[in-house]
Amino acid sequence: MSETPNPEVKVLVVFYSRHGATERVALAAGLGAIQARGSIRLRRLADLAEPQVIDADPSWKAARARMSRDYVEPRPADPVWADVIVLATPDGSSVEVEAYCASLRALGSMAGKIAMPLAAGGGEAALTALYAAAAAAGLIVVPACALDADDPLASVRAHGQQVTGMARALRA
Amino acid sequence: MRTLRRAEDRGHSDLGWLDSYHTFSFGAYHDPKHMGFRALRVLNDDRVAPGRGFGAHGHRDMEILSYVIEGQLAHKDSMGGEHVLGPNEVQAMSAGSGVIHSEFNGSETEPVHFLQIWIEPATEDLRPSYQQFAYDPAEKRGTLRLMAAPDASAGAAVIRQNARMYAAVLGAGESIRHSLEPGRHAWVQCVGGEIDVSGLALKAGDGVAISEEQVVDLGGGGEPHGELLLFDLA
Repeated sequence: MSETPNPEVKVLVVFYSRHGATERVALAAGLGAIQARGSIRLRRLADLAEPQVIDADPSWKAARARMSRDYVEPRPADPVWADVIVLATPDGSSVEVEAYCASLRALGSMAGKIAMPLAAGGGEAALTALYAAAAAAGLIVVPACALDADDPLASVRAHGQQVTGMARALRA
Repeated sequence: MRTLRRAEDRGHSDLGWLDSYHTFSFGAYHDPKHMGFRALRVLNDDRVAPGRGFGAHGHRDMEILSYVIEGQLAHKDSMGGEHVLGPNEVQAMSAGSGVIHSEFNGSETEPVHFLQIWIEPATEDLRPSYQQFAYDPAEKRGTLRLMAAPDASAGAAVIRQNARMYAAVLGAGESIRHSLEPGRHAWVQCVGGEIDVSGLALKAGDGVAISEEQVVDLGGGGEPHGELLLFDLA
């Protein structure tokens, strides 16, 4: 009896978020992956800022407390587990994106995995830096989607579905 | 035909903050002989330490019921809902086409003890939904109180499967008879205390699968009062 190939696709969502905007983008990507019948892990990178800087911003401080409870930091086993790695950052400066990428590199080799870079507001500078870092790490980079002005999260969800489907097709 | 599943034979995981007993295979506990019963796929007996819980994670195509025995369970999901569930309340989340949620002990000082139940839906890819309702504990005292059903009847949560979940609390000498329609099956789980199920003595954590029988006789086993969940399954 023949079987229809429908391999499980594992999607690791690694994001950095200060106030929750990038978290929402990361969750939209993760939800898209679930809708495409993928398995997900959601991981938040730790803040690199000094604690007193965070404490001086009540919104950041509250979001950090909440997100520290909702998400664990990525561990080296996570990229090993994953077929797809969603890389989500704030639009931020290239320095911030480089810090994000350095944190990712510390997790170990990701070569051969599919990368799905995302910038919270679709910022080109952040995306360009992510593309370069992902390609340098040997990831197969799927360019970010255009964001619908009225519902950008719907665009990200659809993109998450498409990339998960793409990974499934590659694995079949 | 009755098949007992004793509390001490269940799977067990202890993560420090989470002490969980698995009636059926779940997570790292996998036993091909215990993969569920009919559409009832998961029945976890969880104790979560104060302030701790399950971070954001995803579900798809599952009817997820939570029944709090003691404490408070805080829930937040990608549908925008934030809720706190306590004893004498039932939560039903239909994961449908996909949902991300987190669940934490709603108290920083007291543990929460709850049952989490997964029922496979009859249809996949439906729109996710969330329901929660409270009831008077007297409604399950000496009688079967409907908690979840495929239709919006009797103040129960609606689930997308031909299954019904009831709860009851029985004192010594109290008894209830539940009729099973032809072809239907039942799972009875002792939630607390002691109960008698068609002649079988069950203690907290025990469960029994019942098939090819027309009735399920439920009785209280003594003090403290026995609490049970009954699943009527296709």
